[in-house]
Amino acid sequence: MAKPKVALYWCASCGGCDEAVVDLAENILDVVAAVDIILWPIAMDFKYKDIEAMEDGSIAVSFINGAIRTGEQKHIAELLRRKSGLVVAFGSCSSLGGIPALANLTSRRKIFDRSYHNSPTVVNPENIEPKMKASVDGHVLKLPEFFKTVYKLNDVIDVDYYLPGCPPTPELIANAVTAILEGKLPPKGAILSPDKSLCTSCDRNETKPEDVTISKIKRVIDIEVDPEKCFLAQGIICMGPATRDGCGQSCINGNMPCTGCFGPTDSCRDQGAKMIATLGAILEGDDENAVDKVIEGIVDPAGTFYRYAMSASLLGGARKEVENE
Amino acid sequence: MGNYEPKIVAFVCNWCSYAGADKAGMLKLNYSTDVKLIRMMCSGRVDPQFVLDAFRKGADGVMILGCHPGDCHYRSGNLKAMRRFNLLKKMMSQFGIDGRRVKIDWIAAGEAERFQKVANEMAETVENLGQLHLRGYVESEVQ
Amino acid sequence: MMSEARRKTSLFLCGCSTHISDTIDLKAVSEWAKKRGDINVIEIHNLLCSPDGKKFFAESLAKNKPDNIIVAACSPKMHEKTFQDIAEEAGINMSHVQMANIREHVSWVTKDKEKAIVKAEALINASLKRVMLAEDLEKHSMEIVSEILIIGGGIAGIEAALTASTAGRKVYIVEKNISLGGTIIQTEEIAPNMECSPCLLAPRLSEVRDDPNITVITNAEVTDVLGFYGNFVAKIRKRARYVDDSCIGCEACFEVCPVTLDSEFHLGLGTRKAIYTLFSGSVPAVAVIDKGNCKHFIDNSCDACVAACPFGSINFDEKDEDIELNVGSILIATGYNNGEVSQFDRLGYGKIENVYTLPEFERIASSNGPSNGEIKLKNDKKPSSVAVVHCAGSLCDEGIPYCSGVCCIGAAKVGELVRKQIPDAKVFNIHNDLVFAGPKENAFFKKQVEEGTQFIKCSDLETIEIRGKDGKILVEGDGFSPIKVDMVVLSTGMTPAPGTVELAEMLNVDLENDGFFKADHELLHATGTSLDGVYIAGCAAGPCNVATSVTRAKSAIGDAISKLVPGREIELEMMTAIIDEEKCGGCKLCITVCPYKAIIYNEKENVSEVTEAICRGCGTCVASCPSGAAKAKHFTDEQIYAEIGGLLYG
Repeated sequence: MAKPKVALYWCASCGGCDEAVVDLAENILDVVAAVDIILWPIAMDFKYKDIEAMEDGSIAVSFINGAIRTGEQKHIAELLRRKSGLVVAFGSCSSLGGIPALANLTSRRKIFDRSYHNSPTVVNPENIEPKMKASVDGHVLKLPEFFKTVYKLNDVIDVDYYLPGCPPTPELIANAVTAILEGKLPPKGAILSPDKSLCTSCDRNETKPEDVTISKIKRVIDIEVDPEKCFLAQGIICMGPATRDGCGQSCINGNMPCTGCFGPTDSCRDQGAKMIATLGAILEGDDENAVDKVIEGIVDPAGTFYRYAMSASLLGGARKEVENE
Repeated sequence: MGNYEPKIVAFVCNWCSYAGADKAGMLKLNYSTDVKLIRMMCSGRVDPQFVLDAFRKGADGVMILGCHPGDCHYRSGNLKAMRRFNLLKKMMSQFGIDGRRVKIDWIAAGEAERFQKVANEMAETVENLGQLHLRGYVESEVQ
Repeated sequence: MMSEARRKTSLFLCGCSTHISDTIDLKAVSEWAKKRGDINVIEIHNLLCSPDGKKFFAESLAKNKPDNIIVAACSPKMHEKTFQDIAEEAGINMSHVQMANIREHVSWVTKDKEKAIVKAEALINASLKRVMLAEDLEKHSMEIVSEILIIGGGIAGIEAALTASTAGRKVYIVEKNISLGGTIIQTEEIAPNMECSPCLLAPRLSEVRDDPNITVITNAEVTDVLGFYGNFVAKIRKRARYVDDSCIGCEACFEVCPVTLDSEFHLGLGTRKAIYTLFSGSVPAVAVIDKGNCKHFIDNSCDACVAACPFGSINFDEKDEDIELNVGSILIATGYNNGEVSQFDRLGYGKIENVYTLPEFERIASSNGPSNGEIKLKNDKKPSSVAVVHCAGSLCDEGIPYCSGVCCIGAAKVGELVRKQIPDAKVFNIHNDLVFAGPKENAFFKKQVEEGTQFIKCSDLETIEIRGKDGKILVEGDGFSPIKVDMVVLSTGMTPAPGTVELAEMLNVDLENDGFFKADHELLHATGTSLDGVYIAGCAAGPCNVATSVTRAKSAIGDAISKLVPGREIELEMMTAIIDEEKCGGCKLCITVCPYKAIIYNEKENVSEVTEAICRGCGTCVASCPSGAAKAKHFTDEQIYAEIGGLLYG
């Protein structure tokens, strides 16, 4: 019997998700033995036209990591969608927008200004910028479009499952692959990690007092962080309460607070707003001035509360006027 | 601005502000039809998700109206609301959204004139700010 | 979520006899509603809350059997319940009745008729979206707890307890001090009738002690209160006495105890031992060991009391005890504190010998006092002249800003008491104003004048200076010639009892600006507080005399027992929060934000749980819940999202 075909693709991503696949270690041999990897740009050499030539639906499953920033990424995502039985959004960027989607707070214009003109290390006397079309010596060169907005994968194609994490843990990946191979799949649209908040598995939760009022926001560089105690109880913003479980607490174990890469639980529409709802209510201060003083300690609320979930946020990013600048 | 009519959603607490709005009605105090109310039991129930959801669905301004500090029917829900929305406002400025589009204020059950004033001022403020074009605006969710 | 069966919707448009229909063209709204296709029945009535309208409403429900009902009419605060009740009778759960407030929020506040229609339609649309997601609300009721907790065992608490017991009700008195009696027992005679306070109190104390309906918990404080009217849970910490109940108060141990200390009961003017009672005949009679000063506890060097006790009552191993009481009402009878005067240098208090406060003078004049009732100076001589300064520390910003209203008569009483022992003594009462309200009080004042007390008016009490001079005390001030006396009595006012702020916070009741407990209504409900089921009596409700203290106590307890009838049920809040344990991550942040301590953490399951009987349904925890596990009944996230979407349509 032919082995099921599997594609792995990366869009706007850092490569960490592909690294996570390699981190399956010896288990990857079982995976390779069980499946036929037909696309994995970061690790092996394949041609897109070979994929295009395949019959629709002939790939059992495509794991697509990274956010959608360019026309090329959208094109390949659409291609893989056509050719695949299942598409799994792999990692935070693909599921929620991830770090790349923080760019939704600014505009394409500003990004280009920074990248091609204003950055101190840029030397660009002719003010050249990437264009979708350029004529060089009579030849027309084409570049994919750089979108104004960073999308998550399900903004551009239909997605069957989501594997959250920056990156997803080897355990979650192995579980997902096993479930797919064995056909024991949850309902379509499911996020393949537990639908509870991180506190549920956090060892520090038992040190959390029943009154967690925060009178001063601290950052990990401000204090010597108690390695046993709940971060919130130390005044450090930990996204754990508003983030789903399943990461194995790698940050917490490294004495760093959760930054929210697994995104919200199913019952929440917006991770950042939910964290604001929770954190805001426990800040100290009975008048606006006192509260604003505590809030001053949160230097970058959008970056803190939407570090990974900007594309999945209700606002989606800065308003249109900013987007269209 | 032309024919632009702002859309303003006001989340009002049942005990003070909703009653204040009712009293504005009894006294026939006209105010802008742009302001429409959603009754909550307490301003402490107002989840910032609701505010963002309202923006996403096309609201140009959102108000959260509760009991005056010290008068909360549920002790301190209004203070929790104030803390949340001051934080939310700070965050929204990073999204290019003018802080004046979210207003948190206190209106007692008897303050009909104040309700009228706050509602009209908000309508005027938001009208001057113009329509909020949101990246995440999803027309299909408005129905 | 919306099930297939929950689809049939009726819309009622009420004209409110022109209040709505004059502004909003209900025909047009009706046409709009018909065109939508998702509203099955549309009815227009001229006045739906009228008898005819209600009948029309009920008949329509019976005929069309809708699953959801929208009543576009007035404010839900006016008639939501009216229509919900009719719907319930028709077998439709009240949660499926949704008001669209097109009167107060549209027709009464909108001039432009076109805009009024559009706004009315938006409100109806929002109501429709919301009601489609309604889930049945279940009515819960519970039997009230008829027991009553009385905090404070002074005269108010005692009289309240005895009154409740007469009605056959069980009460608990929790007293902070080691025995009952409060401050009244520190005074021997009560003006104007000069009634003997210990004689009044002694039989009442015995009655309380012997009453099977009354449980007295002394040396104890309320540490926390949960719950609500009809079902409070009060947590009490009862401090160890180190003397068990077999003690009869024989005082044999007092003589052998080597530690002598200032007596709080005598306001520091007399002494007590490290094992002590407040006074002979106290209830309970059981002595108490002052752990902080007892040599046994300090260095294990003494157990003289053990040897001296004929009953073997000493028990050094006794532990503090935590008690939980389930009660239906709580009466606060925590009394008052004596106004402070030590911050006023010019009054000489604490610096000049023989300058006393009025409560101290009361101790001196009491037969169970430090000098067995003999009024004398520090040098044991009898004073030949006494000055009484009214309003000492009162009516000024640095002290008590108000008039306590009951000190003048106590100040006037000084002359009466002094002359009883020293007939030719001169007594001067220095005042700016006098309060002798009522015929008996006024007669008492006149009697004092006749019997020789000189009432001297000072034009500004803040100018009063009290200095030692030539072995005497010189009292000077604006508007009168300086007076030289042997003794000065400073008539202090009343301030809130210590711990009032903490208790108010614990019970969630309001305080007045003056710091005393605030009455629910000054005129109609003067012994109720801002919270149902919590009452105030005695001076906790503000400065007052004994008669008013007792009157307030009986008023409050009468109110309490008339409502807490055993067997009576109270309806519980229906719109509570609930937490889905499948989704709860156990982050405990809801516990921080709950204003009623209605959420507890289940350590075993690692989830938070709402105690629905305590929850009042504010929804603060629901908004806060970072994993969306908490749900507000009838105000679910889904309902509100739907309402938002519905409101913004069009």
